[in-house]
Amino acid sequence: MHVMMLRRLRLASMLEGSTLILLVCIAVPLKYVGEWPPGVRLMGPVHGIAFLVYCWLLLQTVGAGLWPRREAVLLLLFAFVPFASALSMKLIEREIRVGGGEVRYL
Amino acid sequence: MTFDGYSWLKALHVAAALLFAGGMLASSVVLAILMRVPSHAEQFAVAARRYDHLVTVPAMLVVWTFGIGVALSGSWFGSGWLNAKLLIVVVLSGIHGLQSGQLRRAAAGDVVETRWSIPVIMTAIVIIAILAVVKPSFR
Repeated sequence: MHVMMLRRLRLASMLEGSTLILLVCIAVPLKYVGEWPPGVRLMGPVHGIAFLVYCWLLLQTVGAGLWPRREAVLLLLFAFVPFASALSMKLIEREIRVGGGEVRYL
Repeated sequence: MTFDGYSWLKALHVAAALLFAGGMLASSVVLAILMRVPSHAEQFAVAARRYDHLVTVPAMLVVWTFGIGVALSGSWFGSGWLNAKLLIVVVLSGIHGLQSGQLRRAAAGDVVETRWSIPVIMTAIVIIAILAVVKPSFR
């Protein structure tokens, strides 16, 4: 029923995770080791926007009753850890496959 | 008449903020009514969802875009009042995401529980207005 919402969340998770990796693994070392700050000046706001969009879409799916509280918290925490968006995407894909976007939680 | 870009950005930001706040309160009121009077809930929720989709979501995007534009052109980033306002707008946007999902759920015929959103949104709007107009110093 709400599969589109979950697909959008998966895309947002991918974008959020990719921008976090670019920021932490490339832009930040370039700033502090290579003394080249423009990378952080660009990737900081780009990641900030991607993070906000991801959080908005996550809350939308929470409001629609697609996640138990524990998994919603996990999906939020994964957004702070580089490379953990792979786990988020796995969780979202499982929900698309098993739950089919049906309302399952209060 | 000279073109004052900053004033235009600010005017459009305020207009979008009014539409965003109004849309959020409308959604909250609809959800609160649907919780107490569930008959014909789907039709009300579908109409509220359409309004949310057509007006409130675009208004939120304009608020963010023009708000960042105003802050950049007025060199306001770093001010205490703006940081506080940003935090409140993030919370408001989060509540909007939650409500958007609840409206979808209500439109599909589910009963949705909501009790706290109206006072929280109203308080947030009042604080934002004070922060934006008075620009209090936190030092």
